[in-house]
Amino acid sequence: MVLTLYGYTRSTCTQRVAMTLLEKGVPFKFVLVDLLKGEQKAPAYMEKQPFGQVPYIDDDGFILYESRPIARYIAEKYAGQGEPLIPTELKAKALFEQAFSIENFNYNPIASKAVFDKLVKPQLTGIPPDQTQFDTLMTELGTKLNVYDQILAKQKYLAGDQVTLADLSHLPYAELLHGKAGTKVFEERPNVLRWLNELRARPSWQAVKDGVVAGTA
Amino acid sequence: MVLTLYGNPQSTCTKRVATVFQEKQVPFKFVAIDFAKGEHKAPEFVAKQPFGQDDDGYIIYESRAIARYIEEKFADQGTPLIPKDLKAKGQFEQAASVEVSNFDVYASAAVYENLFKKFQGQTPDPDVFNALIKKLEAKLDVYDQILSKQKYLAGEEVTLADLAHLPYGSLLPAVGSNAIESRPNVARWFKSLQDRPSWQAVKDGITATA
Repeated sequence: MVLTLYGYTRSTCTQRVAMTLLEKGVPFKFVLVDLLKGEQKAPAYMEKQPFGQVPYIDDDGFILYESRPIARYIAEKYAGQGEPLIPTELKAKALFEQAFSIENFNYNPIASKAVFDKLVKPQLTGIPPDQTQFDTLMTELGTKLNVYDQILAKQKYLAGDQVTLADLSHLPYAELLHGKAGTKVFEERPNVLRWLNELRARPSWQAVKDGVVAGTA
Repeated sequence: MVLTLYGNPQSTCTKRVATVFQEKQVPFKFVAIDFAKGEHKAPEFVAKQPFGQDDDGYIIYESRAIARYIEEKFADQGTPLIPKDLKAKGQFEQAASVEVSNFDVYASAAVYENLFKKFQGQTPDPDVFNALIKKLEAKLDVYDQILSKQKYLAGEEVTLADLAHLPYGSLLPAVGSNAIESRPNVARWFKSLQDRPSWQAVKDGITATA
């Protein structure tokens, strides 16, 4: 049975999973869960994803939620095909874990809050965003990206010279911040900009950057 | 060469790592970094840990990444903390991610608001704190469902995902939240984690075992 991804077109977490499926060449069906209609809180949905969030996958009856674990599961199950996204050697793998943790703790909280405040909430409520607050968050993100710029001056990607899930995981929020949200924090840091543009150019990202609309199966 | 943990004896993230050293029976040296003196932002420290937090050995930082490295390096000794089977491992990853996105985000912010802010001479904001606890409680309602059907978050065996909750979960009563005790399955689960010798050894502060 073909793997099915349940998610929302513009959900950054859904994009994270779809991109990984594409990187690994895994055919998948896509079922839209309309967040605007509250479909993620329907009892039948919450039987599969008890936190009422998107996305989740159904891999021939095996249900998994949380976008980063899903991405990991796909990377491991299909380790032998497509782009290797998680190193197997102990120390290289630990450096990947380090980079993935940095994305989760040093980047994601700031990036996701900034995108929510500047783009999502205004769209949902019609209330204009607070630019001062956004600028404050971008200053904080800039401090983190200064460290990224140091790291990326010495190596191609965050965990070494091979791309990993840790790099790709940044894309959904980075695309929005660098684009619509209008921050210069990425382009002001030359190594960060180089790294970001390389990631954005990947076909897997190009296919989902404007939203996940359909699967490949 | 013995592994060295650089951290603060009372730091939640340092305790997260020290608990795993204990579970895996891995001897470690401990170098205390004094937050109050700003030692974690000193240039020599920042050279090793550019985000200025805690680290170790062949130089790895981020407490959950360190915990994973220790578990994988010493997989054959102590308690197995990450399953090997693909699907069981997927469930572990799911639980580990739930800890990060559905628990830590609220619990750590609540502890910061009502406890760490005081250490920094600032005044806690009760509205912020209450809003965080309300969100945390909604998530713990889901935990209570999950834990009514299985012993631990990823299944019937304890994993790193369960242990990761210990440092902030243990501080919730101190900041005035009974979110854990008031949910029967969550309370049962959390108490079983707190009773583990590994947590008992580090809960009041960390000392070296090598």
